[in-house]
Amino acid sequence: MNDEQLLRGRGPGVVVPVGLLVLVLLPLLLLPLAAVFLFAFQGGWSAFRAALQTPEAEFALRLSLLIAFATAAVNAVLGTFAGYVLSKFRFPGRGLLTTVVNLPIAIPTVVVGTSLLLLWGPIGLLGRWLDPMGVQPMFAPAGVLLAHVFVTFPYMLGTVKPLLDELETTYEEAAQTIGASRWQIFWHVILPTLRGAIFTGALLTFAHSLGEFGATVMVSGNLRLRTQTGPLYIFSQFEAGNIAGANAVAAVLAVLSFAIFLMLLGYTSGPRERRG
Amino acid sequence: MFFRRRVVAAWMRAAVPVAFLGALFLYALWPWLPVHRATRAPVNLVFYGFSILEESIAHAVFPDFQKQWRERTGQRITLTTAFAGSGTVTNQILSGAPADLVLLSHEADALRLAEAGVVRPNAWHALPHRAVVNRSPLVLLVRPGNPKGIRDFSDLARPGVEIVHPDPLTSGAAMWSVVAEFGVGRRTHPENPGAGHDLLLGIWRNVVAQAASARAARSQFENGFGDALVTYEQEALLDRARGRLHADVVVPPRTILTEHVLVEIPQNVTAEERPAVDAFVAYLWSDPGQHRFVEHGFRSVNETLNRQNPAFVRIPDAFRIQDLGGWASARDEIVELAWKRRVLPELGR
Repeated sequence: MNDEQLLRGRGPGVVVPVGLLVLVLLPLLLLPLAAVFLFAFQGGWSAFRAALQTPEAEFALRLSLLIAFATAAVNAVLGTFAGYVLSKFRFPGRGLLTTVVNLPIAIPTVVVGTSLLLLWGPIGLLGRWLDPMGVQPMFAPAGVLLAHVFVTFPYMLGTVKPLLDELETTYEEAAQTIGASRWQIFWHVILPTLRGAIFTGALLTFAHSLGEFGATVMVSGNLRLRTQTGPLYIFSQFEAGNIAGANAVAAVLAVLSFAIFLMLLGYTSGPRERRG
Repeated sequence: MFFRRRVVAAWMRAAVPVAFLGALFLYALWPWLPVHRATRAPVNLVFYGFSILEESIAHAVFPDFQKQWRERTGQRITLTTAFAGSGTVTNQILSGAPADLVLLSHEADALRLAEAGVVRPNAWHALPHRAVVNRSPLVLLVRPGNPKGIRDFSDLARPGVEIVHPDPLTSGAAMWSVVAEFGVGRRTHPENPGAGHDLLLGIWRNVVAQAASARAARSQFENGFGDALVTYEQEALLDRARGRLHADVVVPPRTILTEHVLVEIPQNVTAEERPAVDAFVAYLWSDPGQHRFVEHGFRSVNETLNRQNPAFVRIPDAFRIQDLGGWASARDEIVELAWKRRVLPELGR
């Protein structure tokens, strides 16, 4: 669209649709978020800080962050590898495999949690044999990590694979003609172009992990000071009637999500937009 | 000048996220960094409990015990807790949650643990008071001023009364409520063999919202749903003591006295945890332990202690589960047959 065709200014032709959009968004998005902050700060700043400084709340936030960092790190490697294989190799069953790795987007997270329990849990298919050996990832932070890696797997793939698909093969061919190995091509040619996508994918993964609830509640056992993550803490405290405590943590998670979102925005739209 | 600003801007764009994420990572990892002295507790007990136990166990009974244990043995112990609806907690343990001890809302959940082979049948009967740690009568919460004039369970069956009820599939309080509603009907009209079913049907016709636990049902009620909520007296008293109760408490003249059952999961108790687990179990029934429960609105198994809480009013007909034939039969006859197979289909649910 040409610049002259865009509607600009403050006339009714602009104000009405913009006002309408804000009016629609107000009860859908803006007011609910405002309510979280209003309730979180109902008792003032000191009450907000006190609510955050209970050992359970601090632990829940820290655990959520650590799990999010770990999930982002694991999926940065696994997702990039999966994207590379699915994009650069041709083999029978490639379509099927592509579908499978994207499946977590379609599966309800509660089902993911249940399936992990039925595999690794003490009565599960593998857990039945591992449990007597003292290996028990469920109801432990390791189980939470497994669930988050599963649930967020497609995000890294979603940012990396399209870039790989579009990547001109000429650079790879050029590298090949001067005798570079597959690994050298990957390391020196492909990876540098993926840096931005990997960072974006990792941030997306991080953000989703930070807010994950459905699978976590199944595999964690909701143990305070051991496996209770931020969202589980919010839910438990809300159920227990401690609305201020729940909202304090909710407000922190919301602010973190905003910060991550701003970073994503800054990273993806930075130099290209400013060029115009 | 312009060039330098661009460079600085580009540098900032990279540095700010890295610094932010780095700070976040450091914050998250802080308690586990080696700068702290190692303070790992040698023994950790895992305690699962039904929803209303949180304040009394986590903030009163266990901290007292922890202090006493440390003075006596010099050993530090910690408690990992999880609280949810009694049925939920039972399901978690059935799927292998690492509980050493679980305090259930009612014995029917203990029976489920035994039926699945997690504990020996009736193993908990070896504990004091046949494992009943404390009690609480079911009471009715109504809107301030009691605008619907609710006095007892039969008033809940009146047309136009809307009830918030926890879900018997996951909540112990809901199981107790179903049994209480049936029992009150039967005891009010002993001459009529259908009276239990009739009251149950009348009340469930008025149920407008179901929640997963007693706690969740209370939250729904507080958020404005319904005219009445059946709940533990303990919940109401604790909230009133804190000035947080925005409802009136109606203690019905005829109601059930709920009995909360402790079950030990022996295969989860390691040899080094054993002395602490045994001592904690004994502490739960000790006078100081029971006193703490009374302070938190639970009725003690030791009647003399109950006089210490003036909020405990006398209830003319506070019946127990034995009066209905015990949990094994109440579960089959009342919850399964009367409620699930008759009342729910009759209401088309």
